[in-house]
Amino acid sequence: MLHDSVAKHDATLLMETSRRTEFCLHSWGANSYGQLGQGLVEDLTEPRDTTALTDRAVRALSGGGGHTVAVTENGEVFVCGQNHRGQLGLGHNADVSTLQLCPSLNQRVTKVVCGWDFTLLLNDCGRVLACGSNAYGQLGVGENVTHSAHVLVIESLEEPVVSVAAGLRHSLAVTDSGRVYQWGRGLFSHAKRALGPRAVPPHLRSTVPSLVPGLDQKISRQVTAGSAHCVCLTGDGDLFLWGSNKRGQLTAPEPFLSSPTLVKRSLLGNEKVLNVCSGWTHVVAQTESGRVFTWGRGDYGQLGRQAPTGQDSKWPSTDPSAEGPNQEARLPAEVKVLRGATQIACGSEHSLAIVGGCLLSWGWNEHGMCGDGSQSDVCPPQLVSGLRPLLIGCGAGHSMATCAATADSRQNPATTPPH
Amino acid sequence: MSVFHDEVEIEDFEYDEDTETYYFPCPCGDKFAITKEELESGEEVATCPSCSLIVKVIYDQELFMSGEIVETSSTETKLEMVQS
Repeated sequence: MLHDSVAKHDATLLMETSRRTEFCLHSWGANSYGQLGQGLVEDLTEPRDTTALTDRAVRALSGGGGHTVAVTENGEVFVCGQNHRGQLGLGHNADVSTLQLCPSLNQRVTKVVCGWDFTLLLNDCGRVLACGSNAYGQLGVGENVTHSAHVLVIESLEEPVVSVAAGLRHSLAVTDSGRVYQWGRGLFSHAKRALGPRAVPPHLRSTVPSLVPGLDQKISRQVTAGSAHCVCLTGDGDLFLWGSNKRGQLTAPEPFLSSPTLVKRSLLGNEKVLNVCSGWTHVVAQTESGRVFTWGRGDYGQLGRQAPTGQDSKWPSTDPSAEGPNQEARLPAEVKVLRGATQIACGSEHSLAIVGGCLLSWGWNEHGMCGDGSQSDVCPPQLVSGLRPLLIGCGAGHSMATCAATADSRQNPATTPPH
Repeated sequence: MSVFHDEVEIEDFEYDEDTETYYFPCPCGDKFAITKEELESGEEVATCPSCSLIVKVIYDQELFMSGEIVETSSTETKLEMVQS
């Protein structure tokens, strides 16, 4: 969830091969609301074929707390899971445990990101569509709606949007010209506590898209979001972070940053960043040479490397350093086994990556979201065997991968004609 | 149990008036929950029905008992927009 990292190369590959290849959409992990699309609500600790979308290439996969959205090459939207706020955009509020086409969308969708209980879609005209909870204004349509099971257009974003992101209760978008907008009050209480008597700036309390200050000299290209922080990647390969820094996810010493703050390139091997994604409180960034750096919270193995000292005992009830983040947590470090990753996706406290055509997973694993059949946290990243992943995606506690169907994994090879 | 997944201020919980329960997202996709009654009795641990994680609720019990209205985001106070 929470990120926008469709690997362009793989998407192109998918489109070229879609006519002659069958696909398997696998899912695993937490499943309290049917978000795995398996027709059941029991957790799965190993990948299992959903048997859905076998004749369609998927170009984007994302999940929220309890829901899943898949966008196909043709721009169709398939959804499943929790729907109590209308986050599936189906026009009703009943949960769905198998992937269903979202029929009311008579437009081509190109991207999706899921917040906790809401969904943001990007169509091929660059318009942002939103459904689900608006309790914090995260749909970007003002305050008159508490939640919507119908997909709403964020009319006030007039310029075409190229990247969207959704946190627990806030949203971000980058326009074609490189401007960054934020909406949803998810960071408001954090800002209020950090800023004291000082006023909370508009972009942290707006329920309609509000221009994020401090980036006007930059051309931004990609946004992603943590539970209560924001990440922006510029065309120059610079990373700007703001919001909550409780776990060192901003690389800064302060507990909260209101405005975008540059991550020093010296922390990232003096290289440009080309791709970034974020879990709830950890960040994974890939530089121009393919190196992958992680920082932030690491006590469940989220960083894919040895957890910074002081984090290995979870969150002590009386933490004397609770006011500021652990110094080591906020220092990016490379995870060498992830070098050359072609895709990375983050759940709340776990992550997936495709490296050399293989699927790797690491982090929190209580619900089997790392897919190794166990419920023990995984660190360093380890192979999820038996899959040939084309596209990966995560929800908070669940994982998804579309794979090329192999002879032994194909469900009904004789009855599924080429599309 | 003394190891908390996190410490969360009461104002960051969503309050459901029907169940008189405060909720906060759990990383597993379910929600940490603690009832108003539990908070009034001094309980400060919110649990998730689906996993082992727990969070400590940061709140002032005396303020809470005095009926001070905690500013949370109530999910059912406004009408859902109906679109034709």
